[in-house]
Amino acid sequence: MAVDDRDDAAGKEVPPPPSYRSLAAPVANPVDKFALLPAFLKVRGLVKEHIDSFNYFITRGIRNIVQANNRIEARNDPNIYLRYTNVHVGKPSVQVDYKIEEITPHFCRLTDRTYSAPIRVDIEYTVGKQHELQLKRNVLIGYMPIMLRSYTCILHGKDEAELARLGECPLDPGGYFIVKGTEKVILIQEQLSKNRIIIDTDSKGRVIASVTSSTHEIKSKTVITLDKEKIYLQLNQFTKPIPIIVVMKAMGMESDQEVVQMVGRDPRYGDLLFPSIQECASERIYTQQQALQYMDEKVTYPGAGNQKEGRSKSILRDVFIAHVPDYVGNKRLELSGQLISLLFEDLFKTMNSQAVEMMNRNSDKTRSSPSDFSQLIKHEAITSGLERAISTGNWDIKRFRMHRKGVSQVLSRLSYMASLGYMTRITPQFEKTRKTSGPRALQPSQWGMLCPCDTPEGEACGLTKNLALLTHVTTDQEEGPLMNLCKSLGVEDLTLLSGEEIHAPGSFLVMFNGLILGKHRQPQTFAKTMRKLRRSGQIGEFVSIFVNEKQHCIHIASDGGRVCRPLIIADMGISRVKEDHMKELRDGIRSFDDFLRDGLIEYLDVNEENNALIALYEHVDQDDVERSSITHIEIEPLSILGVVSGLIPYPHHNQSPPSFLFEVKVTFLYNVLQLFRADSLLYLLVYAQRPLLTTKTIELVGYDKLGAGQNATVAVMGYSGYDIEDAIVMNKSSLDRGFGRCIAMKKYTVMKENYGDGVSDRIAKPQRDKDSVLVKQNMRALDEDGIAAPGQIIRNHDVYVNKQTPSVIDRRGAGALLRDREYKDSPAIYKGVDGETTVVDRVMLCSDTNDKLSIKCIIRHTRRPEVGDKFSSRHGQKGVCGTIVQQEDFPFSERGICPDLIMNPHGFPRFDISFVIFKYLFYLFINFPNLVSRKMIELIGGKAGLSCGRFHYGSAFGEPSGNADKVEDISNTLIKHGFSYNGKDFLYSGILGHPLEAYIFMGPIYYQKLKHMVLDKMHARASGPRVLLTRQPTEGRSRDGGLRLGEMERDCLIAYGASMLIFERLLLSSDPYQVQVIFEVVCEFPFGRGWNCATADAVVLGSVCRKCGLLGYYNHKLKASYRSMCKNGENMAKMRLPYACKLLFQELQAMNVVPRLKLTEG
Amino acid sequence: MDRPAAGASYQRFPRVRIRDLKPDFAKFELRDTDASMANALRRVMIAEVPTVAIDLVEIEVNSSVLNDEFIAHRLGLIPLTSAAAMQMRFSRDCDACDGDGSCEYCSVEFNLSARATDSDQTLEVTSTDLRSADPKVCPVDQARAYQQALGGESYDPNTGDQRQVVLHLISLVANPFVVLSCLVHFIPLLLMLALGRGILIVKLRRGQELRLRAIARKGIGKDHAKWSPAATVTFMYEPDIRINEELMETLTLDEKRSWVESSPTKVFELDAITQQVTVCDAEAYTYDDEVIKKAEAMGKPGLVEITAKEDSFIFTVETTGAITAYELIMNAITVLRQKLDAVRLQDDDGDLGELGAHLGGP
Repeated sequence: MAVDDRDDAAGKEVPPPPSYRSLAAPVANPVDKFALLPAFLKVRGLVKEHIDSFNYFITRGIRNIVQANNRIEARNDPNIYLRYTNVHVGKPSVQVDYKIEEITPHFCRLTDRTYSAPIRVDIEYTVGKQHELQLKRNVLIGYMPIMLRSYTCILHGKDEAELARLGECPLDPGGYFIVKGTEKVILIQEQLSKNRIIIDTDSKGRVIASVTSSTHEIKSKTVITLDKEKIYLQLNQFTKPIPIIVVMKAMGMESDQEVVQMVGRDPRYGDLLFPSIQECASERIYTQQQALQYMDEKVTYPGAGNQKEGRSKSILRDVFIAHVPDYVGNKRLELSGQLISLLFEDLFKTMNSQAVEMMNRNSDKTRSSPSDFSQLIKHEAITSGLERAISTGNWDIKRFRMHRKGVSQVLSRLSYMASLGYMTRITPQFEKTRKTSGPRALQPSQWGMLCPCDTPEGEACGLTKNLALLTHVTTDQEEGPLMNLCKSLGVEDLTLLSGEEIHAPGSFLVMFNGLILGKHRQPQTFAKTMRKLRRSGQIGEFVSIFVNEKQHCIHIASDGGRVCRPLIIADMGISRVKEDHMKELRDGIRSFDDFLRDGLIEYLDVNEENNALIALYEHVDQDDVERSSITHIEIEPLSILGVVSGLIPYPHHNQSPPSFLFEVKVTFLYNVLQLFRADSLLYLLVYAQRPLLTTKTIELVGYDKLGAGQNATVAVMGYSGYDIEDAIVMNKSSLDRGFGRCIAMKKYTVMKENYGDGVSDRIAKPQRDKDSVLVKQNMRALDEDGIAAPGQIIRNHDVYVNKQTPSVIDRRGAGALLRDREYKDSPAIYKGVDGETTVVDRVMLCSDTNDKLSIKCIIRHTRRPEVGDKFSSRHGQKGVCGTIVQQEDFPFSERGICPDLIMNPHGFPRFDISFVIFKYLFYLFINFPNLVSRKMIELIGGKAGLSCGRFHYGSAFGEPSGNADKVEDISNTLIKHGFSYNGKDFLYSGILGHPLEAYIFMGPIYYQKLKHMVLDKMHARASGPRVLLTRQPTEGRSRDGGLRLGEMERDCLIAYGASMLIFERLLLSSDPYQVQVIFEVVCEFPFGRGWNCATADAVVLGSVCRKCGLLGYYNHKLKASYRSMCKNGENMAKMRLPYACKLLFQELQAMNVVPRLKLTEG
Repeated sequence: MDRPAAGASYQRFPRVRIRDLKPDFAKFELRDTDASMANALRRVMIAEVPTVAIDLVEIEVNSSVLNDEFIAHRLGLIPLTSAAAMQMRFSRDCDACDGDGSCEYCSVEFNLSARATDSDQTLEVTSTDLRSADPKVCPVDQARAYQQALGGESYDPNTGDQRQVVLHLISLVANPFVVLSCLVHFIPLLLMLALGRGILIVKLRRGQELRLRAIARKGIGKDHAKWSPAATVTFMYEPDIRINEELMETLTLDEKRSWVESSPTKVFELDAITQQVTVCDAEAYTYDDEVIKKAEAMGKPGLVEITAKEDSFIFTVETTGAITAYELIMNAITVLRQKLDAVRLQDDDGDLGELGAHLGGP
């Protein structure tokens, strides 16, 4: 990792010494290198890793799975078989009435369908008694949900116009699935890598080394534990742990000397192994035969007792694979392709085993000619299995012992950034509830791979991460050719070497994807050759070659799920990318891939980065780093941040609380085609603008095209007292002119149910009397077809679909139409806010997969900001609108500028201790400019931008490369246009006309409206519904609930001594109830006999028997209290208590606990 | 600020000197009065001078990309010529109608009908498509066309050349804050006026249609910003700049130059020949104190003394075009007088209530 320890801002300006400059004569200007970023994103897109991984699965993965399990045969006659010869996934389509129709993603979204494509196989199978071979092509085995913009997606390779025609937003990155009409993302899963040894301690504190092995046939976990100084092997195939030396002997190393030699000649190893050897000797196992016998006894395998012989040998061969310790706790990212491939593998195998099962059953039952397999292949299982897993997010695969929840999530469409954020999110492998700080800490190896800022607050903090801008996640690559290449480059096979030779000094072990490939005598030359081959494109660009000097290993990795990023190659510290390359790129002659092919840029993964020395800028002299030792140069420092954190201007100037990044995601969407979508809830900003102070990331991801906020002129001052606690004061005239105005669209769906026999719901037209006046006023929004008409104003309690349901559903004898009176009204009634005008925006009719008509009404509401609505700047500065003030009362400057909103200076971001730590961490890599609050820089930057008519930039760490404007330059621009250099203005009070006593910091700040609006939240009630069981008021706004007087409030009232108020609140206003109590406490009844409840018609009020303290009842016939146990009305008292209390007593009685009330004369 | 003792006479005789008067721009001095007076005038100009603006929209057909409320909002913000607004009735006070818009005293009806025909060109529906029922009330950019249609007799708010309006609006671009603070109000106006095509309402693609009836009513800026005739109304205290000539003479030429340049706005001038520092534009001074700070930094405190004359104000008034700047000022004075009359009438009743306490009177 490059260390860039430069001086402060002043030091940057100093030109490098002449000698250095002559050395780097044709230095490419670092500003120009920026063009690589858009070029990279153009080639790869923002979510390429998802699409790549899915493409790999569709083209290769699925084929490998089918090939590995390509033959199924009947158990009792292996001659009856079926063989898969080919598999391919077609274009997304749906079968309607034996006709195959191609479908578009948008069609699926609107009609609640799954965007999936048929998986077809070519098979050969035997038919009849003679086992004649038959071939069949294109047999359907299931439907595969298709990732948008993957190879098989119809959107693949379409240009903007074509996308628009298909109803797709051109800015939508794809990379998700559409299952039953909802968009689902399969989140990136963080995993410990497979086929690597991971050393850990288990719950009992024992040191364990575990390996998860995975091949196409089998997935297993091998664990080696160290228990009481003895080493054991644990495998699921064995009932008990096996001493390691037994295993060694079983594998043919009969003499202890050989064992020790293989491990290493160091006497320490011998000491460590000694207890294990001793145990083995005590078990009297000396030969391979004995060892195998010992192990055979421990084998677990259902049934097949006779096969036990030799099982252990095959287990050793197939399952237990030797690995040499490799302590790198590598992480692998599992992408949608891998996860779906697991799922598919399981379903495919299940389908096959079911087919075999059926075949066996058939042949057992009938001795006649055996049926053929092709009839037994059922495609429903795969279709529904895949669909279910993606729509619920539960990956329950027993075969691989995988039980994961929340793998897929609904793609949030609240804002463009939210959707992008979902695509780059990585879910952790660890439990969120663990309180450990270790895995949450920022790791130096995350540099450039994972965003250091973008992590949620709370329990998942530091565990859930996001990919950085330039990160690429690899997919699997063919291993065979690479292994052969290594061999021909001089890797010697281990089997040919003795233990002595293996540990020879100077020679390095070559590991390929965690497997030992062999030894190499000249490791550096080998690594260099491999890298040269990679740079020239002879081997894949994502193959990593990592020389581990400490462990004397060379790791070559070509497996999937590694994170890597592109870097410019530097020879002796001189960038290979020159000005003419950049010119070619700008002219469009050269693409990013050409840079890769020409060996100017290469991908490094985390491991290989350890072999590299990466400089931030080429033109910068390094104090303590030899220039010639620099091997790579960063493309752009801002690429260490992710997509979402890249939105913040000047993020390196002060801390960005994770909450902000969350807030970004709750602002509004401005999807290009949002109006054609049918989201259940959609917020749109009416006059969205692009930020005046942008960042390069904003432009790269297209956020400037889908702005979600407005540039508000903000004055930083106290005003009116309604601005405490981050509240803001808004200018009414600005709101009149459209500031913060938004449209909320909500979807309401009504299903027209079918009840069979041609009986179904019907939609009735609104009833009118003879003057054609509506009978019911709440039907005014309806059209003549009984469905609300688009453009109609709809108010609270209005009907939007006048549905009628047949009153008798299970009517036998179909055919005749139901008469009118056999229907009862079940209209869909709109529940809105009284006094608000909402409009029916669109009505969509479609039939769902079950051929039911579904009516979707989208109801639109235009809202202007009101007191209590939440706003946020881009700095985690959320605040509610405290008050709305007339423009004439607002302060103004002599230029006539009047702010749109006023923010209290107390709300300026504070530097807290965590930021100091953050800053220190980053100081290691990048020097920080002076700590001016970045919101202040945004303000003056925006002001300068307005003055000179140019968008200003505030990209992360962008000052040295010109991607961020320096504060000094901004100040100069301001002065040039007659403003004060510090962004402060001289204002007059709008109320009094006097000059304000201080200069006011005023300028534009990009403000975003958040989805939390009072209208959706405000709630109050006087009296209303109660819960049936407890008779207490309901809870929650949706149920028109009461406002809870909770424990703490109660405490206050007790402390205050307001007993009557407590009584009134907790009893009278909640659930008062009168009971009859039996007075004296004389226990006549055996304890716990239970209490017979009175018959329902008699109980109106409960009564309490005075004698036994139990509840009685009031008998209305006798007009007296009555006790049920004593069967008379003596000694009864009335008392009031909460109904919930009475309920508790009765529930206790139901559990054989007798609660008795002790009453005294009051 | 010192306040005179209770009971003292506040009466003064303010003077007004008009410096510049264009159809929608005015600059004048208001002297011999205090901030309360100046501010009252400013506030009334922004919030209480009535104009006419579209207030009720009935949409017949709308197949455009913008929804009904969106279009209604945009229509409302189009400035309409409102010279007759002072004489009109408020809809709520009108007894000649029931507020449905067919009343000549309180409302003006507009019609808009636009349909993009088969051409592939996007049709821009602008304020020129609005058909007014009353030629006196029309979108400001159409005033000239209406005037011509009426034979040049009718009143035209843009008495000057329309080009001048355009030029002036373009000059507003130079002051982007105005654009910003009058966000929605101005940008379409600006662009479309600059192109001479009216104020953009919505763009229609082939086959889309917009048909509506709109009713404009009288209102004031206090109720909604669309009724505010003022684009910018602002004033400043007139600065009183006194250079200490003796101290100034002690400065070298370079020092003088750097001192003069320290002001962000061009207030001082250094005469190249006489090497004298003179005040060239006192009103350009923004009370930023930069020159004073500079003088202190140079070790010459008291080099210049700047005070605000607390009894004279320089007003800058720009209108949206709904009424002329002259009308705006005069109407504002009328409205202010009416308000004061209302107070005085209450005073005659002898029941000032709380207000009496505030006025300090008996």
